[in-house]
Amino acid sequence: MIEAQGLTKVYGDKTAVGGVDFTVQAGRVTGFLGPNGAGKSTTMRMIMGLDRPTAGTVTVNGVPFARHVAPLREIGALLDAKAVHTSRSAYNHLLAMAATHSIPKKRVHEVIEMTGLADVARKKVKGFSLGMGQRLGIAAALLGDPQTIILDEPVNGLDPEGVVWVRNLVKFLASEGRTVFLSSHLMSEMALTADHLIVIGRGKIIADAPIKDIITGKGQTRTRVRTDQPDQLMNVLAGTGVSVEVQDHELLEVKGLDPRQIARAALDSRVMIYELTPLQASLEEAYMELTKDEVEYHSLITTGVPVPVQSGGN
Amino acid sequence: MSTSTVAQPGPRSAGPAHSSNARTASPGPGPSFFRVLNSEFIKFRTLLSTLILLAATAVVMVGFGALSAWGTGQFADAAGSDPQAAEALAAQGGDLAVTVPTSGIAFAQLILGSLGVLLMSSEFTTGMARSTFAAVPKRIPAFVAKLAVVMVSAFILTAVSTYVAGLVAVPILDNYGLKLDLASSQSIKLLLVNSAYVAAVAAIGMALGTLVRNSAGGIMSLVGLFFVAPIAFQLIPGDFFVEARKYLPGNTLTPLTAVEHVPDTLEVWQAGLVLGAWVVVPLALATILLKIRDV
Ligand SMILES: Nc1ncnc2c1ncn2[C@@H]1O[C@H](COP(=O)(O)OP(=O)(O)O)[C@@H](O)[C@H]1O
Ligand SMILES: [Mg+2]
Repeated sequence: MIEAQGLTKVYGDKTAVGGVDFTVQAGRVTGFLGPNGAGKSTTMRMIMGLDRPTAGTVTVNGVPFARHVAPLREIGALLDAKAVHTSRSAYNHLLAMAATHSIPKKRVHEVIEMTGLADVARKKVKGFSLGMGQRLGIAAALLGDPQTIILDEPVNGLDPEGVVWVRNLVKFLASEGRTVFLSSHLMSEMALTADHLIVIGRGKIIADAPIKDIITGKGQTRTRVRTDQPDQLMNVLAGTGVSVEVQDHELLEVKGLDPRQIARAALDSRVMIYELTPLQASLEEAYMELTKDEVEYHSLITTGVPVPVQSGGN
Repeated sequence: MSTSTVAQPGPRSAGPAHSSNARTASPGPGPSFFRVLNSEFIKFRTLLSTLILLAATAVVMVGFGALSAWGTGQFADAAGSDPQAAEALAAQGGDLAVTVPTSGIAFAQLILGSLGVLLMSSEFTTGMARSTFAAVPKRIPAFVAKLAVVMVSAFILTAVSTYVAGLVAVPILDNYGLKLDLASSQSIKLLLVNSAYVAAVAAIGMALGTLVRNSAGGIMSLVGLFFVAPIAFQLIPGDFFVEARKYLPGNTLTPLTAVEHVPDTLEVWQAGLVLGAWVVVPLALATILLKIRDV
């Protein structure tokens, strides 16, 4: 289990992580989703004791990483950049890492086999493709057979077969009861891999929920409504937690009410509606929606003007 | 890349059998100092560039020993017929031969000092530091282990190269009728002091590499300290610089190895203390910063 409390990292005048609280539970794959620059890698480096938090704490199984008696046997991590001297062979790199914890050579060979590096293990890492580098990072993370595994963007640079392999691997590790925490900036990848999702944007946690809740946009039901009297309908629908967006002059998108409630309200006030379509957000849409205001460098073109009928919406 | 060897995770492929949820408090051995030392030694010997620098040091030391034996022989020959040269020879205490095996020491200190810089700076430039300090989160044991590997290697390599240089020099000097006894107390003293000195320079290099975290910057600082500063201090007029020059780390070797006190240098005990301070202060600073800075 990983627990962060008020975890903050400030670089100069840049707040990379702004006081986040979250818990990563054992026995399931927890995705850490956020656009580039959101603070995922920084959070993971703080978990691994490599970056010192400006404020707050993070513990792994109740203890700060550096206080574990045998850190590599507790937590294995693949961090985003290659954490390897590229003039050394993959085998020697793993051998040196293993030596710090008296992990036997046999285990080094095992992780090399598992990650499909057997053919290249004796070659210098310099010549590795990004995908092979990722495999080496995963091999290093698994070396101590740790209970907690942290993978920063593990599928970056992997071929499709490798992506499926990572997906199956993390699910398998979680099924064994381990804590698995992996980051990605791709919602689609998370949808296929994670059981639980923590979404981060600009160093703040935006969502922390089971993946299915996020996909279905629980509490964020959207319905497309067409009516001759949009203004009147908007007044009728106004209420706490409800927002209405004018998409076109007779087309509204309503959030916070389900279709039945909208139809009832329309009927009661004698506003005719001629379309009522529940919208199932695509995963990408749900993610965009979640991070819309949080993306650091976004190129989103927003169509329509959001009209929060009441505060508390949107 | 080859994908034919992709392992599918299965019940037998994720590692040694273990019961999933029941995890005991002690998962196994952790990073004791001895294990970290072993790891650092593996890292040291598995980099080709390191081995090349070590070999280069040995070649330079032996090569300079031979060259210097030949030059010293020529000089002694000339002294036989030229009264001026004879006078110069006499001024050297008549025992030029004993310093022949360590003639390449300036290069040894440059190469092994740079090696000290590189072994630390490359941790940061390659990202290896993230792996190193994830395995040893207390950080200092890894630093001390690396320091031990670097200093012991520098000492042994310098000692062995000096001895081999001596073995090569003996027959050459013999041709000119000069005698070099490698077992004499002065020979042994020179071998030990020079080796310890080079180990000290390598340690200073490691401290610089840790502080600067950049290979070029670290080597430049080392060269600045050992090669540029002594010359610059000599060129700048003023008593202060004449005095300060003695305290440069590179100028402690002369008093430490001389038979008799050389003018304008420190006393032996002072030189030992000054060199010690040049090692301890940067290392202490490097250790503190290594502990508190982000990796
Ligand atoms: N060492 C650092 N120094 C200064 N700024 C940093 C450093 N590391 C990360 N940042 C900044 O912090 C923010 C978060 O970065 P990062 O954690 O790498 O995000 P992510 O992994 O989600 O893409 C970015 O704006 C990045 O530029
Ligand atoms: Mg990142």
